[in-house]
Amino acid sequence: MATDNANADGFGEVSRVRGIVFEYLSLGASVFGLVALGVLLVYVAIDAFDLANASPEWLLTYFLTLVVPFLAFCLYSADDAAVTRRALGALGGGLVAVAALFTAIEALVVPIPRLNWQLAYLFVVAAPVTAYLAYVGSGGRVGAVGFGLLGRLVGGVAVGLAAGTLFLVFDPLLWFLAYTLGVLPAVGLYALGRLRSSPRAQTATVPVGLVGLVAAAFLREVVATYPSDLLIYLWTIAIPVAAAGALLVGDRRGRTAAVAVGGAPLVVATAGGFLASSAGLPAPTVLLVLVLTGVPTAVYVSRVVDAGEGLAGLGLPFLLAGGVIAGALVVQTFGFPTPEPWLDGSFLTAAPSRTPTDAGLYPAIVGSVIIIALVAVLSFALGVGTSVFLEEYTPGTGPLGTLTRILQVNVANLAAVPSVVYGLLGLGLFANLLGLGIGTAVTAALTLSLLILPITIISAQEAIRSVPDDLRRGSDAMGATRWQTTKNVVLPEAMPGILTGTILALGRAIGETAPLIMIGAATTVFRAPDSLFSRFSAMPMQIYTWAGFPQADFRYGVVAAGVITLLIILVGMNGTAILLRNRAERGS
Amino acid sequence: MTDSTESPDLSRRGGLTRLKEGTYGGLFAACAAITLLTTVAIFVTLLSDALVFFRSVPIAEFLTGINWSPNPAGGGQAFGIIPLLIGTLTVTITAAFISIPIGTLTAIYLSEYATPNARSILKPLLEILAGIPTVVYGYFALVYVTPALKATLFPEMSTFNALAASIMVGIMTIPMVSSISEDAMSAVPDELRQAGYGLGATKFEVSTGIVVPASISGIASSYILAVSRAIGETMIVVVAMGAQARMPEIQEALFGIPFVNPADVLLQSGMTITVAMVQITGGDLTGGTLPYNSMFALGLALFAVTLVMNVISDIIAQRYREEY
Amino acid sequence: MSNTTSDDSLITTEVQADSNDDRAAPAAGTAVAARDLDVFYGDEQAIDDVTMEIPEKRVTALIGPSGCGKSTFLRCINRMNDMIEICRVEGDVEFGGKNVYDGDVDPVALRRKIGMVFQKPNPFPKSIRDNVAYGLKIQGFDGDVDARVEESLKGAALWDEVKDQLDSSGLELSGGQQQRLCIARAIAPDPEVILMDEPTSALDPVAASKIEDLIDDLAEEYTVIIVTHNMQQAARISDRTAVFLTGGELVEYDDTAKIFEDPEEQRVEDYITGKFG
Repeated sequence: MATDNANADGFGEVSRVRGIVFEYLSLGASVFGLVALGVLLVYVAIDAFDLANASPEWLLTYFLTLVVPFLAFCLYSADDAAVTRRALGALGGGLVAVAALFTAIEALVVPIPRLNWQLAYLFVVAAPVTAYLAYVGSGGRVGAVGFGLLGRLVGGVAVGLAAGTLFLVFDPLLWFLAYTLGVLPAVGLYALGRLRSSPRAQTATVPVGLVGLVAAAFLREVVATYPSDLLIYLWTIAIPVAAAGALLVGDRRGRTAAVAVGGAPLVVATAGGFLASSAGLPAPTVLLVLVLTGVPTAVYVSRVVDAGEGLAGLGLPFLLAGGVIAGALVVQTFGFPTPEPWLDGSFLTAAPSRTPTDAGLYPAIVGSVIIIALVAVLSFALGVGTSVFLEEYTPGTGPLGTLTRILQVNVANLAAVPSVVYGLLGLGLFANLLGLGIGTAVTAALTLSLLILPITIISAQEAIRSVPDDLRRGSDAMGATRWQTTKNVVLPEAMPGILTGTILALGRAIGETAPLIMIGAATTVFRAPDSLFSRFSAMPMQIYTWAGFPQADFRYGVVAAGVITLLIILVGMNGTAILLRNRAERGS
Repeated sequence: MTDSTESPDLSRRGGLTRLKEGTYGGLFAACAAITLLTTVAIFVTLLSDALVFFRSVPIAEFLTGINWSPNPAGGGQAFGIIPLLIGTLTVTITAAFISIPIGTLTAIYLSEYATPNARSILKPLLEILAGIPTVVYGYFALVYVTPALKATLFPEMSTFNALAASIMVGIMTIPMVSSISEDAMSAVPDELRQAGYGLGATKFEVSTGIVVPASISGIASSYILAVSRAIGETMIVVVAMGAQARMPEIQEALFGIPFVNPADVLLQSGMTITVAMVQITGGDLTGGTLPYNSMFALGLALFAVTLVMNVISDIIAQRYREEY
Repeated sequence: MSNTTSDDSLITTEVQADSNDDRAAPAAGTAVAARDLDVFYGDEQAIDDVTMEIPEKRVTALIGPSGCGKSTFLRCINRMNDMIEICRVEGDVEFGGKNVYDGDVDPVALRRKIGMVFQKPNPFPKSIRDNVAYGLKIQGFDGDVDARVEESLKGAALWDEVKDQLDSSGLELSGGQQQRLCIARAIAPDPEVILMDEPTSALDPVAASKIEDLIDDLAEEYTVIIVTHNMQQAARISDRTAVFLTGGELVEYDDTAKIFEDPEEQRVEDYITGKFG
């Protein structure tokens, strides 16, 4: 770098200029793709939420009631005068700069479609500043608590909805029997063994569970009367989740707290479930969402109260909800014109339609959730198995070593096979040869599992390789067998990394379209699939179909809403994966 | 765990334990075998249907035909891959014009100029480019990029065109070039850079004159991988490029030299190998028909080309790993 | 044992061998024996025709310059060398009268009877309790695990420091505590022999001296074989000392006092007086 400085003679001047030009050129190249993607994302967001028709008053109202309090919360949590100064400076300076620049471009160069300076300010200045402050704020205790609570609320809703969706396909009655006869006794036995330090009880866990599952499958054919769906979900999911929450808290805070943490959400969820069924809503899903949101939230709140730090952070959800309500009130009182977003509740719950305003994504979302759940199970099991075999079970030399190297090269090559080719494999092998059916969910799940398997394997191998050899040797020297070392030492240490890699790979699977087309997935289905062998559509398939429609409302509205939905789900999955990795890195 | 001399000892260890050990080992081996089986299955599936296809359409005709119409309305099917190859090459080359220079410059910036802080932010952000679903890129190309280009640079552009699709394919493959090239550049030992600085070279001269040549095999392998990815890319072209298999018009320039006007290829719709495959799925998928089998012949061609490119890239990449 | 910590920093040619009078006299049985043992790493010979008998319930130290094969010898006893692919062993290593390299010996079963402590403390990233109970768990121990955990932690002189935090992670302990945790882990399944591969070399002097005291106590119940590059340490804690020199040759093997006060071999004298090695 020292040589970049100008020397005394003219030669230094020349090379410095060239170097600086090159440095900025390469910097520009580095951000080119990101800027291009950013602009496109801004446009798709504007289209999905109809922001082009948002009046400045409407924008200003929500900016003041929602964004400003959130920024204040982050600044309060960060508690850093320098950050505050910088953020306020950026917000203020950005306002002037964007307004001036935007007006200048519009006046002198070319009018910019579907964008005004207020929106430009929101996306170019306010959004990055908010993201930055959220990042800085989450470092403070108050912010960490606030975002932790928010994450549990959102995550609970997502998991609850996904679980409710899965029961559209999987037989809840069979699950009821399997849980009662297999899962519950097995878990009980394991807990007993753990409590009494009796390995024998723990060894019995797996056989007992298997016998129970087989018995359940058999009884399903015989038994004719079952409790109502709501009671099944209450018994098989709500009560265990509440009990787990109560146990987590009870260890440290005693009986009263445990009953409160487990019981209160359970009561609320049950009441919600019965109310929903009388109101005509899908009661089981309401119950699942309430209990899966309520219990983790209650556990978290109890923990925060226990620690006694950052209590103010618990107010964040109220702050945001209050902001939305206040904004809506102001908009209504003054009669500000409001945009009509394409992406709204009815878009997520309605079936596709020929008329753009009625079109919805619901069946495709259900299809995607079911496929991804299957892919997750398959690719995780196969990925872990293969990577354990490659990393722990095979030597580096000898004939087995050669086999390992062949497998390794094979995995690397599979990762680079185009996804359409996997589609052909699914069509030829699963759909036609094995007769699993053209365009069925199970064919799609198998195809996508094979597609992401190489990525899962490679990341799982990296995670396993990062477990220190010291630990393996320590376990070996204790006389552990290979499987015991793998199970007790290697896998627990590698698990966060394996999960992160699997979730990232699932993100790839959820957006894949070409293989689905090849296996004949339906372009549009009007009902959610109700079995693994029914025709289905998936979110990217539906986007592909809509993108081919000629009407502008489809192209610019409905598809944009679909794209944003897909991207939000992707961001959620990848965010979870990254949080998981960061947490594991902090832990070790 | 490389304990290969494990010997059974009946006196000390129960049969049940050994059974358990063997079961787990077998399970893991079975999982690993599935990856091998996948490769075999891909190969067999493609080959068996492709062979049926080649019984009706000779390979020579398939490889040299200049007409592709598997399901014509009036009859008279034609299975010539040339127009599809032209479509694929158009997209691949145009995309490479974007991904290669930008990706290389990005790699140089990340490896030589960026502060550790900037690198730790930029690298994961760049990976986002490869993580966006390709159907979304296709939608962007169709709905935003094409109208923007039409309004500004190319008024005569058609709604479905190769240029917008290629731009998106190029952007999507930037991280492929940048991350592998950056790995190669970072692997260049610092002594080489120090030697350059010691001779009075500027940072620019060290970057372009020492680091890039030293890591050239890694950079080349990243180019091949990015191109191979572009060849196999499906959704972007399906959504944004349309589905018209056509031969470009050959014009005569001065002195009778034939040439093709690039605008004629780029601004019009076209068809790649992958689009042709997707288009056939609109028909009967239960098998047995000629178009169905032709899909597998195209798949085989695609599989073979990408596999060869991967192997080449692997061999080249091995070289830089050996060098340091 | 009163002077074990006082001369830590002294480099003296006249190291006083600690006379472990209490158990020096009566002849003990043989715990481990090597006969004509050769070990090769690829083409390189790491152990050259070693024959020695290691008495039970004694501390036997293996000393010698780095690369002399003392660690290799230690790892032959519980067949940890099996993990190294290019390693080839010829000759016999007898444990309880049985050659551990016989075809019908399961190295896993062997290692359950022989505990091992490594140079760098390597507790598992689990709770202290689970660390100590690890060997019991994998062997399917059916008795009172908690009692055995307490007993082992007491045996490793760690109980008083950790009894209130058995459920916290073993990684939260200091380096010396971690190493004692590893010793507790090794003795929990009640092995017959404990192998220690330079167990104090990664520790500070205070922590090291605690481990040394502990090793002395362990010899009441276990056969301890310890590799060390620290001659004072060998002199302080061991009953028998084996000196390996370059090439994997066992040069001299005798009572510790004899080795340090009046070695037969000139080369050994040179080595322990610092003229060589």
